Amino acid sequence: MKRLSLTLAALVAACFPSSAWAEDTTYPLTLENCGRSITFEKAPNRIVSIGQSNTEILLSLGLAEKMVGTGVWFSPVMKEFEAENAKIPRLADNDPSFESVVQQKPDFFTAQYEWHIGPNGSVGTRDQFADLKIPTYIAPADCVAKDNSGGGDGVRLQMFTMDLIYQEILDLARIFDVNDRGEALVAKLKQRETAAIATASGAAGKNVTMAFWFSSPKIPGDSYIAGINGGAGYIMHILGAKDIIDLKDEWPLVSWERVTSANPTVLVIAEMSRRRYPADSAEAKRAFLKTDAVASQMEAVQKNRIITIDAQAMDPGIRTIEGVEQVAQGLKAFGLAY
Amino acid sequence: MIATETIPVQGGHGRWAALAIAALGVLVLTMALAVSTGEISVPFGVIAKTLGNKIFGTAYTLDPIQEGIIWNYRLSRTVVAACAGAALALSGTILQALLRNPLAEPYVLGISAGASTGAVAIVILGFGGGLLTLSGGAFLGALGAFGLVALLASGSGGGTDRVVLSGIAGSQLFNALTAYIVTTSANAEQARGVMFWLLGSLSGANWADVGIAAPTALIGALLCLFYARALDAFAFGADAAASLGIPVQRVRIVLFALTAAMTAVMVSLVGSIGFVGLVVPHAMRFVVGPNHDRLLPASAVAGAVFMVLADIVSRIIVPQQVVPIGVVTALVGAPSFAVILTRAKRTERGRVA
Amino acid sequence: MSISIRDAVWKAGGTLILDGVTIDVPAGQVLGLLGPNGSGKSSLLRLICGLRPLAGGVIQLDGRDISDLSRRDLAQRLALVEQQAATDMPMTVLDVVQLGRTPHRGALAAWARHDEDAVAAALRATDMWEKRKQAWRTLSGGERQRVQIARALAQEPTELLLDEPTNHLDIRHQLDLLGLLRRLPVTSVVALHDMNLAAAFCDRLVVLQNGRVAAAGTVAEVLTPDLIADVFGVTARISYPARADRPQIAFLP
Repeated sequence: MKRLSLTLAALVAACFPSSAWAEDTTYPLTLENCGRSITFEKAPNRIVSIGQSNTEILLSLGLAEKMVGTGVWFSPVMKEFEAENAKIPRLADNDPSFESVVQQKPDFFTAQYEWHIGPNGSVGTRDQFADLKIPTYIAPADCVAKDNSGGGDGVRLQMFTMDLIYQEILDLARIFDVNDRGEALVAKLKQRETAAIATASGAAGKNVTMAFWFSSPKIPGDSYIAGINGGAGYIMHILGAKDIIDLKDEWPLVSWERVTSANPTVLVIAEMSRRRYPADSAEAKRAFLKTDAVASQMEAVQKNRIITIDAQAMDPGIRTIEGVEQVAQGLKAFGLAY
Repeated sequence: MIATETIPVQGGHGRWAALAIAALGVLVLTMALAVSTGEISVPFGVIAKTLGNKIFGTAYTLDPIQEGIIWNYRLSRTVVAACAGAALALSGTILQALLRNPLAEPYVLGISAGASTGAVAIVILGFGGGLLTLSGGAFLGALGAFGLVALLASGSGGGTDRVVLSGIAGSQLFNALTAYIVTTSANAEQARGVMFWLLGSLSGANWADVGIAAPTALIGALLCLFYARALDAFAFGADAAASLGIPVQRVRIVLFALTAAMTAVMVSLVGSIGFVGLVVPHAMRFVVGPNHDRLLPASAVAGAVFMVLADIVSRIIVPQQVVPIGVVTALVGAPSFAVILTRAKRTERGRVA
Repeated sequence: MSISIRDAVWKAGGTLILDGVTIDVPAGQVLGLLGPNGSGKSSLLRLICGLRPLAGGVIQLDGRDISDLSRRDLAQRLALVEQQAATDMPMTVLDVVQLGRTPHRGALAAWARHDEDAVAAALRATDMWEKRKQAWRTLSGGERQRVQIARALAQEPTELLLDEPTNHLDIRHQLDLLGLLRRLPVTSVVALHDMNLAAAFCDRLVVLQNGRVAAAGTVAEVLTPDLIADVFGVTARISYPARADRPQIAFLP
C-alpha cells in the first residue's frame, strides 16, 4: 500500500510542473529582502525606482505603465525601452530627495544600491519609507555578502554572480504577479551567458589578465579599477581571465604604477553619460592610454586590445550580461580564444 | 666709544657654505629614496640605469614600463613634491614675518580653502562646462578667496590681527561652501574622490606639472631672497620696518601677492597640504636663526625634504593603498608644532623687570 | 634748522590730536618734549619720522619737506625709538641691533666692516656689549629699551627721536643715556615725563597741551610754576642749586 501511494505521488508530481514554474502569486505576499520582511497585500501600482539596473529590470518585465519615477542614471536606457522610459518622470539624474520621491505617491520603492536607502541612505531610510507604508526593495546584489559600512562603493566578501540578479528578477516578478515573464527573462539571460562563454572558450588557457577601468577623480591620476568580486570580477571569472589586482573592494583607487607594471593582456574601459570627472568619457581614457609615457608602453595599448563597454555592464545588474557578451567578443577578436 | 673688538657677524662663510651643500645633499638623497620606494619594487640596478639613460645618455636596454615608472611617474612626482614643499614653506616663512604671527601660513589667508571650493565647483557642479580643468578651478578659487580676505582686512585698517581674523573668516566661509557642495550634490564616489584632493594627492604628477611647479618655486625663492632684509625689518612691526626705511605698503603687496600665487599654483597642482608652511619655518628658525637671508633658503630646502618624505610615507604606510599626503603632514606636523612650542617655553629663562 | 615743524595738524579716527604745532629744532641740540598723557607727544614723533601723513602743515629736515624724501632716505637720517617694542621672533640682542643697519644696506649688499663697527659702537654706548648674544625674550624691560636705543644708534642717524626712553631704566642708565645724547653730534627730540631729567639734560623744551604748543624755549624759560600748574595740574617749586640755567623742580603735594 505504501509503495502504491508513493508511485501515485510520483505520477502526480510528473504530471504537474514543479512549483517553481510560473505560478500565480498569492497575496498577501511576504518576502525577505536584505534583512527585512516586506509584505504586499496586492501588486503595487505606483513604483519609484532608483537605480538604472532595477529600472531596466522593471521595464524588461513590462511594468512601464506602473512606474511613476526613476533616478540614478549612468547611461542612456536600453534602446528597446527608450519610448516607454520617456514617459516616466525622471526625478533626478543622480540622487533624488526624499520629498520628490514621496510626492509621486508611490506604493513601492526599489533601489540598486544600499547607500540610497540603507541606514545612512542618501534618499531616505527603509524605516522612513515603512512609516509611510511604502515597502522598499534593495537589489540583493548590493547586500548579500557585501560590506557597505565603510562608505564608498563597499567591499564585496564573496564574488557577485548573476544568480543575485536572477533572484531580483524573480522577486520582482512575484511581487507583481508576472511570474511567467520573470522566468522567461531569466531563461533568456542565461542563454545569452552560455553563448558568450562559448564564444570565448579557451581564453583561460591563454593566461589572459585584465583590468577594468571605470573612471578617475584626476586624469592623470589614481584610477578606479575593478576589484575581484564585483560585476567586472564576475565577467573575468566566467570567461577565464584574471584580474590584475587582488582586492575585494568594488572600485578601489589604484595607481598607474601598479596597473602598468601588471601589464594586463586586455583593458576594458567604461563609457557613460555622466561627466563629473574628465575621465568619465571613454575618449579621455583612450587619450590617456595613448599619450601617457608609461601607459602607452603597456601590451594592451600597443596591440590595441582595449574593449569599451557601458559603465552599467561593469557593475552588478541586468546589463552585466551585456558586459560578458562584449568582452567575450573582444577576446575572440583579439585571437585570445579558440 | 670706538669698538676694540669686532663682531664676527658674517664670518665663517666657509661654515655656511658647507652647511648649504650638506642641506642640498640631504635633499638629493631624500629624492633618491623617494624614487626607489613605491608599491612596485624596482631593483636598484634598474633605477641607476634609468637615471643613467635619461640624464647621462647611456644606452642600457631596460623594460620600458619599469623605466617609465621610475622616470615619468616617480621622479616627476618627487620633483613636484619638492617644489611644492619649498613653495609652501617659503610662503609660511613670509607670512609669519609679515603678519608677526607664529600661526601664520597660507591656510590662514584662506587660499587653500578657496582653492578647494574652486575645485569642487568644477568637479561636482560642473561649472565652466568642461572648459575649466580641476586645477584651473582651484587656481581661480585661491585667488578669489585671497581677494575676498584682502578686502575684508583692508576695510578695517589692515592691521595684523585683522588680517589673521579675516583669513580665518574667509577659510571658514570657503570650507563651508565646499562642504555644502559636496554634501548636497555629490554621491559617495565623488565625495571620496574630492576628499582625496582636499587632503592632498600627488598621484598623476608628471613632467608637465614639473614645468609649472619648478619655475614657480624657483622664481618665488629668488624673489623672496631679494626681500630678505625687508622681512627682517618687520620683526618689530610695520612702523618699525617703515622707520628702518622699508616701503611697507609696497613690500606687503608684492609679498602677499607672491605668497598667494605660489600657494594657489601648488594647491591647484597637488591639493590642500597643511602644516608645511606652519612647522618648517619654526624648525628652521631654531637651526639657522631668524635672519631671513639664511632662513628663506633653509626653509625652502627643509620644506622640500619634508614634503618628499611625507610622500614616501603616504605611499608605503598602508599596503596597496595611498594615504592622502595632507594626513601625513598633519600627523607629523601637529606633534612637531607641540615640540617647538615646548622648547620655546623652556629656553625662556628670563625675568622681565 | 635740523628739524622744522610748521602748523602740523594730525587727526586719528576723526579726533584732532595735533592742532597746529610749530617747533624748530636746531642741529645738534637735545629738545625735550613734555606734556601730559594724550597731549600728542608720541604722535608728533611719528609724524616727524614720516610714519603718518600730515593732515595739515609741513615738516622739513634741513629745509627739505619730508614728504619729498623716500622712506629709505628718511631712515638713513632719522632713527625712532618707540615706547614699546615687541617681537615673537627668537632674536638675540645682536640680531636686533643689526636691524639698525637696514637703511644703509641694499637688498643684496654684503655685510661690511663699517656695519660691524657701527653695531659694536652702539652696543658699547648702551652698555649691552656683554649681553649681545642673549635672547631678546629673556631681557628685562630696561634692557630691551637699551637694545632698541642701540639699534637706533646703529642707524648712525643725524636726527634721533625717542619716545620716553627712560621709562624702564634704572637711574644710572637714565643718566648714562641722556648724557650720551648730549655728547653725540646728533639732533635729538626726546619725549620725557621726568621734568628734572628734562631740565638737567635738554637744551630746549617744548610743552604740549591738548595738541598745541603751550610753551617753548630754554629750560629756564619754560619750566615755571605757573606753566607747571596750568599744564600738569600740580604745584611745584623751582630752585637753581647747581647752575643758573638748570632748574630743579620740587613737587609739593
